[in-house]
Amino acid sequence: MSVFGSPVRRSAALSVVMTAVVAIVFFFPIYFMLVSAFKSEPEIISQTFSFLPLDFQGLGQFQRAAEIAPLGTYLFNSSLVAAINVGVTLLFSALAGYGFAKFTFPGRTALFLFVISTMMIPTQILVVPLFVEIKLLGWVNSYQGLIVPGMMNAFGVFMMRQYVYDIPDEIIEAARADGAGEIRIFFFIVLPLLTPALASLAIIIFIWSWGNFLWPLVAVTREELAVLATGITSYTQPYQRQPMWGAAMAVATIATLPLLVLFVFFQRYLVKGLTAAAVKG
Amino acid sequence: MAMNDVRQMAGRSVTDLPAPSLTRHRKWWGLLFVAPAVLFFAVFAIFPIGFGVYLSFTRYDLLTPPQWIGLGNYTGLFRDRAFLVAIGNTMLFVFGATVPVWVLSLWLALRFDRCFASRNIWKSLFFSPVLPPLVVVAVIWKVLLHPNGLVTGLVGPIFGVTEIRWLTDPVLSRLVMIVVNDWTMIPFFSMIWLAGLAGVPDDLRRAGELDGASDKQIFFLITLPLLKPTAVLVAALSTINAFQAFVLQYEMTPDRGGPADANLTLGLLILKYGFQYFRMGEAAAASVLLFAVILLVTAAQLWLGRQK
Repeated sequence: MSVFGSPVRRSAALSVVMTAVVAIVFFFPIYFMLVSAFKSEPEIISQTFSFLPLDFQGLGQFQRAAEIAPLGTYLFNSSLVAAINVGVTLLFSALAGYGFAKFTFPGRTALFLFVISTMMIPTQILVVPLFVEIKLLGWVNSYQGLIVPGMMNAFGVFMMRQYVYDIPDEIIEAARADGAGEIRIFFFIVLPLLTPALASLAIIIFIWSWGNFLWPLVAVTREELAVLATGITSYTQPYQRQPMWGAAMAVATIATLPLLVLFVFFQRYLVKGLTAAAVKG
Repeated sequence: MAMNDVRQMAGRSVTDLPAPSLTRHRKWWGLLFVAPAVLFFAVFAIFPIGFGVYLSFTRYDLLTPPQWIGLGNYTGLFRDRAFLVAIGNTMLFVFGATVPVWVLSLWLALRFDRCFASRNIWKSLFFSPVLPPLVVVAVIWKVLLHPNGLVTGLVGPIFGVTEIRWLTDPVLSRLVMIVVNDWTMIPFFSMIWLAGLAGVPDDLRRAGELDGASDKQIFFLITLPLLKPTAVLVAALSTINAFQAFVLQYEMTPDRGGPADANLTLGLLILKYGFQYFRMGEAAAASVLLFAVILLVTAAQLWLGRQK
């Protein structure tokens, strides 16, 4: 009796085909974005779809995007904000994680709860009072205002504390016995041991920072301070002009590209990062 | 590491690590190490919460100093048609962004949990919607859902029409917001379910198979009870996210929440009151109310997580 003809085998094959179809349906809009960045305007707003551009634009849509709005500035600002967010969060989180995990001091538990309780506060709730706060500080429409209020994330402290806790006390004690100072121990003993955890944290913070829309939307109104996430609206909701869908797809592709690269090369870390980041939401 | 953290947060108290053994008197160093983080959160998280509560009791337009009006903003909100409409819209969105997402994300996670040919490729394609930032998701779908766009081209012929106003029709646009949200959230929550499924021992399921249990019995009697921590996490996260939703509505609908406030969510209302009308007091009061809802959901999550 042939195995291939058996109903069990056939239904299993059918189930795989169905799963593949589901995957393609979910992926299609991403493909649409990527391919539309190289299509002409009438081909994008069209009731039919061609898998490859019929009227290939080369990098034309990207050039058009850069002509209409300061795309380079958006890209620079997004990168700057992400770099500072990642750097500050990594440093402050490692410091605090070390302090909370390896030292005893009065109020340790209370301060730790104080820090991690802020993980439950969504930006949506903070946006009004934070805006008033930076207005009082004179930071509206400035890099400080754009970057500082969001440059640190309590999730990092929570995560680093767990990892520092796993570092054996003997290593730290041995360094102390050898006469190393506390700051030296942190930078030359603790920090190197945290490298893998810091890499995961960097990916998580990068994703959050790169996609952050709400804070840049309210903190800055000047175009030269906009990031990609807010800048993209100057193509889809332009002031006194028709929307430029091709340019919008080109910018959408640029905004997705770093995440796509992370996904292709570090899929495991990215999935882990996104799953862990879910806790913060 | 990720799933460990997730479980720890979902199920266990965060303070129950045993005390460190380094109990020498290095108090000041410990305080010094935690100081930058503590100060940062004091200034940019805890203070604004208190400040927001204060602002919610005042009338404040950013120009003249805040003026204390007691509960005026709260009573005003509940008499405000836009606020009541926003509550209704938000509740509808929350429903659409939770129940279908839970069911479909778990169902798809179970499909991708099985072994089959080139599974990783299909899995990568399926996960891809989590990649673009939410505002980019909104832009992609705005193009797909153009009245004369591709989705109209696919669906229109069935109804014999050549133009569909997906985003400017009050009923359709509400449905579309939910579908687009669920398109990015289903793969995301499938990821979390899959991480949870990885912790369900295979031999338990196989033992069930040997005892002659049906696939359904194995799922409902063995797999699902073991997935409870994941289920609590998925339920809480999706609910909290949905209550704050505003990005899709902001970017995709006419007049940022239209047509005629059909897609005005609480998140959008806070933005409109605060940064369009400069009614900071009312915006702060709406934020406080939204925060109360989110705290309730978090409390429910912690309570459910503790139940055996």
